[in-house]
Amino acid sequence: MTSLDATFSALADPTRRAILARLASGEASVNELARPFDVSLPAISKHLKVLERAGLIVRGRDAQRRPCRLVASQLKAVSDWAEQYRRFWEESFDRLDEYLRELQATEAKSRAPKERAHGSRKR
Amino acid sequence: MLGQNLEKLGEYLGATPAARAPERGMVVTRVFDAPRQVVFEAWTRPEHLARWWGPKAFTLPSCDVDFRTGGAYRMVMRGPDGTEYPFHGVYREIVPPSRIEFSAVIESGPGAAVLTVVTFDDEGGKTRVTVRQTIPALEEAARGQRQGWTESLEKLAEHVAAR
Repeated sequence: MTSLDATFSALADPTRRAILARLASGEASVNELARPFDVSLPAISKHLKVLERAGLIVRGRDAQRRPCRLVASQLKAVSDWAEQYRRFWEESFDRLDEYLRELQATEAKSRAPKERAHGSRKR
Repeated sequence: MLGQNLEKLGEYLGATPAARAPERGMVVTRVFDAPRQVVFEAWTRPEHLARWWGPKAFTLPSCDVDFRTGGAYRMVMRGPDGTEYPFHGVYREIVPPSRIEFSAVIESGPGAAVLTVVTFDDEGGKTRVTVRQTIPALEEAARGQRQGWTESLEKLAEHVAAR
């Protein structure tokens, strides 16, 4: 699994996303992070391990508190990747729009001369 | 702001709660001023695809397409700096002129297959094209992780009860 795969996997869980959102306001201890959730401390610790392995958070050495901190660059890498897809489609659609206009204009032009010839024959 | 971005990212990864499943994944939509048949046709052949597939200033130097349900395709995009991006996949379902579902593996990317569903809807003679993308392997990983954790808890409960 590449690092981006591990990051996606880590982000696929709503509790982990909520933990990251909390850490965006500043570092926090495991207890502080567990508080808003109706989940046990071991469950939160498991989530934190997944986030740490994915490189999304780092944990401090202080044995008592082990404060968790967000690694913004990793999250940005994933966000950029997702944004690339959106931009890919928006720009492809821009080109498709132009191509469809050309296609239809070409088709209209190829019809017109026949109509003009037909018209002049009438006179 | 980060909370909103994370929520959008979660949706993109297909990890949205079931109630909002229809909008799961990345969604891009656009109305084109052309009949459905014409728009659909532009997705089916290399000579069309080469004219619009990819971002601005990109070209499609290679495009092999077996456009049928179960058919495979392989394309190479080339960026303005010459970098090439090969990708391949399978057409999982084709319903002309309303739906194309295909997988894609970007050969230089993370390796997880991306699933794309394209729908074509008539809107008063114009055509609305909607593209939805998800990453099925990540949805499975998310489900698997939840299952794995539940199994671990059950084993632990049995272990404690047996003592």
